[in-house]
Amino acid sequence: MATGNYGTIRPADVSVEDVEIFYSFTPSRENVSDVQLLTLDPAEVLLPANNPNNVSEIFGGLYTLKLPTDIFGTKGYYNIIIRPKQIRTTIQDCAVLVDNQDVVGIVFDINSIDTNLQNRFENGNLVGYRVEYLKEETGTGQDKIQNLFRIITSNNRALPISQNQGNSNASQAYTFNDNSSSVFCTVSPSSAPSIKPNATPFIGNPQQEVIITNTFFDPVMLEIEMVEFDDETLAYALFSNQTKSLEDGIYTIYNFGNQIYRQYNLYEVKDQFSGKPLYEVREQKFDIDPTKDFDDITNF
Amino acid sequence: MQYIRKKINLENFTVRAIPKSVLTKNSEGKTIINTESPNYYYGTIPEFKIDDEGNFILTPFGQKIKNTIDVDIFITQNIDDMGMFTDVPFVPSKETLPEKPIGFNSFVYGRLAGAPVNFYYNDPFSFTGTTDDGLLGEVASLIKTNSGGNIFTPNVNTSYNPNIYNGVLYDDSEKTVYKIGANPNNVPNTGIKFTTLKNEFGKKVNVYDKNESYKITFFESDNGGRNNYNTSLSALLKKEEYLGVVFPPEVDSAVFINRGVADIFERHALLSEIKTTNDIDTNRGGFIRI
Repeated sequence: MATGNYGTIRPADVSVEDVEIFYSFTPSRENVSDVQLLTLDPAEVLLPANNPNNVSEIFGGLYTLKLPTDIFGTKGYYNIIIRPKQIRTTIQDCAVLVDNQDVVGIVFDINSIDTNLQNRFENGNLVGYRVEYLKEETGTGQDKIQNLFRIITSNNRALPISQNQGNSNASQAYTFNDNSSSVFCTVSPSSAPSIKPNATPFIGNPQQEVIITNTFFDPVMLEIEMVEFDDETLAYALFSNQTKSLEDGIYTIYNFGNQIYRQYNLYEVKDQFSGKPLYEVREQKFDIDPTKDFDDITNF
Repeated sequence: MQYIRKKINLENFTVRAIPKSVLTKNSEGKTIINTESPNYYYGTIPEFKIDDEGNFILTPFGQKIKNTIDVDIFITQNIDDMGMFTDVPFVPSKETLPEKPIGFNSFVYGRLAGAPVNFYYNDPFSFTGTTDDGLLGEVASLIKTNSGGNIFTPNVNTSYNPNIYNGVLYDDSEKTVYKIGANPNNVPNTGIKFTTLKNEFGKKVNVYDKNESYKITFFESDNGGRNNYNTSLSALLKKEEYLGVVFPPEVDSAVFINRGVADIFERHALLSEIKTTNDIDTNRGGFIRI
């Protein structure tokens, strides 16, 4: 039997030009109101890994997100959304093919697409893209028609042909022509569920705005928590080198590279009249004393 | 959508080196840090990569390198089939509605029971595009110039079909305007209007991989949208048995190995291949004849 179904998960080899990245920042989990989504340029922050056996070939799946420290250098929570790039355009026409009158599709005008994105509309390049629709009425609150999408199953440049010539009410159908600026796309699904066979197989309206999105990869959301301490920094306090200057009471903790990690002033608080010691204090010192370099101290 | 949580320690990106070049003496002769020094980054995360002396690390082209926090992610693409769809005849359960309800929008409300197909028609609208001059020859006169060039005579129907108008509307030294597929009795409002510019050329690669130039041509039509010539109502169903099935059955396997020698068991073995009544149909004309 040649019947069967398929489904798989493959490492994505999407180009960074087909990716959109957004991020938001909140200093704490409790402060999540008024979260503002900002954009990052994928060409600057997303780097695909190359196949070690062929450096000019993308490895597939593995990407390095290079987060600039001037944006991501603050303690708190960063939410990063990586999703397929969206193209907004208008349906030019809804029509059929001249030689296949039962093949209905939607037509886009390549010239209305941003120049950098026009190659996506060449023959066959839109297959698998998702079409989402915006409401034709304005002022209804939500501009996008939610939970509705179609998948493009074919796209070809096509020229309108006047069909049923001789009738003044005739509309054009389309015939494939690679020199046309119009692109005829078939979409799926256009079927009704079996429990409601009279639900219309609607694919859009002429002049309706749509959002076309590639399906080259599944969206990813990262929550990155930027912290100041982890096991390693706590280990500095336990296991790394330390010095205590008896002359000025400066207590220095070094990291495992013997660089000054923290400095503290150690002193006692005494009763001003009796001189009786009341407290021993360890207070963090923010103006670092550079003379407490570990190598300088121990190099005698 | 994947959801990935990571915890990154900013200390790993914080500068802890104090280069000797940023040290200075104060009025008391004590060594202190010159925090105004451009090489002083202690306790901060610099925007660009620096070395232990606080100098920028440069590319071979002398450009500073952006300091980044690198996170490796693995991006995947889920692929699944869309299954098979089947057309079935659709008979509406109600009588045809006489008028389109006020505010009816098939896109929002879906199919309206009893709504005739004309409820879904759009008003005609105009749209435009560009193409090559491949259809220009359709409207050229059969008479040629002395040098063999085409002659475009306005208002002459060059179509062989008397019910179709293909012809030039206007022709001058800059452009030729013509209609293809119009109604001879209503040329202005039917057909596709083409405008070929005579002095502006585009380039394309033909099927032989050769560069070819053509006269830039614009097309326009006022008859876009749905109407009775391109719209019909039908019910498209997704049958349960075809959920997830990509291809229709194409090959029926009806192979039975005749073992020959053990004839007494052969008949039982043959019957063991029949498990359903469908198998009887499948094997009709094969090993089992009914």
